[in-house]
Amino acid sequence: MNTDNQPCPRCPDGTATVATVSPSGNIWTVYMCRVCHFSWRSTEPKRRTESALYPEAFRLTAADMAAAPDVPAVPPLRRNP
Amino acid sequence: MKSKVFDDLRGFLSELDRQGQLLRISEEVTAEPDIAAAANAAARLGDTAPALMFDNVAGFIKAQIAVGVHGSWRNHALALGLPMETSMRDQVAEFIRRWETFPVAPERRDDPPWAENSAEGDEIDLFSLLPLFRLNDGDGGFYLDKAPVISRDPEDPDNFGKQNVGIYRMQVKGARRLGLQPVPMHDIALQLTKAEERGEDLPIAIAVGNDPVITMMAGTPLEYDQSEYEMAGALRQSPYPISSAPLTGFDVPWGAEVVLEGVIEGRTRELEGPFGEFTGHYSGGRKMPVVRIDRVSYRTDPIFETLYLGMPWTEIDFLIGPATCVPLYQQLKAEYPEVQAVNAMYTHGLLAIISTKKRYGGFAKAVGVRAMTTPHGLGYVKMAIVVDEDIDPFNLPQVMWALSTKVNPDGDLVQLPKMSVMNLDPSAVPPGISDKLVIDATTPVAPDVRGHYGQAAHDLPETAQWVTRLNAMLADRI
Ligand SMILES: [Zn+2]
Repeated sequence: MNTDNQPCPRCPDGTATVATVSPSGNIWTVYMCRVCHFSWRSTEPKRRTESALYPEAFRLTAADMAAAPDVPAVPPLRRNP
Repeated sequence: MKSKVFDDLRGFLSELDRQGQLLRISEEVTAEPDIAAAANAAARLGDTAPALMFDNVAGFIKAQIAVGVHGSWRNHALALGLPMETSMRDQVAEFIRRWETFPVAPERRDDPPWAENSAEGDEIDLFSLLPLFRLNDGDGGFYLDKAPVISRDPEDPDNFGKQNVGIYRMQVKGARRLGLQPVPMHDIALQLTKAEERGEDLPIAIAVGNDPVITMMAGTPLEYDQSEYEMAGALRQSPYPISSAPLTGFDVPWGAEVVLEGVIEGRTRELEGPFGEFTGHYSGGRKMPVVRIDRVSYRTDPIFETLYLGMPWTEIDFLIGPATCVPLYQQLKAEYPEVQAVNAMYTHGLLAIISTKKRYGGFAKAVGVRAMTTPHGLGYVKMAIVVDEDIDPFNLPQVMWALSTKVNPDGDLVQLPKMSVMNLDPSAVPPGISDKLVIDATTPVAPDVRGHYGQAAHDLPETAQWVTRLNAMLADRI
C-alpha cells in the first residue's frame, strides 16, 4: 500500500491524494484526483489505474474540462424572492 | 388475494432466499472487478437470474453488498408479492391494476432501525460507511445509483405530494461530498432551480438500501404533485411506512439501511462522470451540482444495495420497465379507449410498442403520435410501433410478424423532424433534439385500402381451451 500522492491516469496534470485506505489488511488505497475528480482503487485492473493503459475514449484534456457545460445551468438570482 | 409485503431490504432478501432467488457469495472477492463483473454476468443469465449477496470483500470489514435485487422477472414478481413465475405481461397488468388504487396514505412510524447509529459533520466518512466500488471501466469513480433522493419544493415545503422521491446518479467525491445529476426534465431539477434563484441550498435526504417497492416508485415518472409514498402504498396494497429524518425533517423510508442528509449546494457546479448509463452508453464531460452530507444515520452493519448497469438488459431495465408502461398506457387509454396494451420497456420508453383497435384508416398513426406528446413521451418515445389489437406487444416474435407483414414503408412511416428527446440519447443531434418515427404495423382499415389483408389466419376458436387443457396435463405430469 502506498499513501503518497499519485499522478492521475485520466488527466494530464492531475495529482491524486489519498481518499481512504482499506479498513483491514493494508490491501488497497483509494486515490482521488484534485483536478478532474477521477477516483480509483489501487487494486483495480491496470487499464483503470495507469496512464499508459488508460482508454483513449475516457481521457480528459484541459480543453475538455474547460469546455464542460453546467448541467443544469445556474439560473439568475431572483431579486425579490 | 392479499400479497406479501416487505418493509425493508432485509425482509425482501429473506424472501428471495426462501424462493431460491438469492445467491450468497462468501468466498473472498475483489471490490473491482469482481462485484460488477458478477452482477453483469447475472444479468446475462436471463429472466430467472438471482440476486447476489457478497459478504467477503477484500480489504473491507463486515461489508455486505446486495446487487440484482430487482434483476429478473422472477425477482420483480416477488417484489410485488406475486408468484415468481408470473409472466411479464401479467406483472405489468397487475402493476396497472394496483396503480389505479392510488393514493394509499402512508403509515408514520417512530422507531426506524436506522436511528441505531449516527455521525455528523466531519465525523462522516462515506468510504467507511459503505463498501463503494466501481461498475464500468470508464466510470469517473464510485457511484450511488439505486438510492432514492428525497427533496421538497422550496416554495411549498409543507406539501406532502410535492415532496419528491427520485433516483439520481451520485458520484462519491469525498468523505462527505457527492456529485449529483439532476436531469433537467426531472422534479429535483425544478426544485433546485427554485432554491438557486433564491440563492439557497436545497436540503435533501438519501435512503440507501430499501424495500423493493419504493425503489420501483423512485424510478417511475409520476406527476409533480403525486407522492411516491402514496403510490408505493398502492403498489404494495398496504400503507407505506415512513419516518422523519432527524436533520431535514423529511419523510424517508422507515426501513432504509442508511439515511444520508445534507444539501445540494446552491449555485455550485463541478466536473462529474462519466458514468455508464441506462442507454448503454456513458455520459459525462459536464459540470454538475454537488452535495454536502451533514448527518448520517444507519443500521448496525448496513447492507449496501446497488445495481449494475451497462449494455442492456441489466437490472435497471427490470426496475424501470413496467413502471414506464403504466403512465403511457393510462394517458393513451383515457383519450383512445381502443388502446389495448403498451410495452415501453426499451431504454425507459425511447421505443414503445402499442396495440390498438382502429377507429378508421390513419387512426393508428394518430395513437403513435399521441404517445410522443404525453409528458413522458416528450423526453422519450423516439419510436412508436403500433400493432393490431390481437398482437401482444410484450411478445416480440408477434411484433416482428406484424412488422414483417403489415408494414409497407410507402404509407406506414411517419417521420417527425427535430422533436424533443432526453439529452442522454446518444443519437440526438444536438443533444435533446431528434427526429421521431411512428411505424404503423396495423392492418389498414377503410378508407385506407392498401395491401391484401382479406384472408388473415387466426388462432382456431377452440385453441384457448386446448391451451388450458395442455397446461393442466403438463402440470399433472410432475
Ligand atoms: Zn485527473
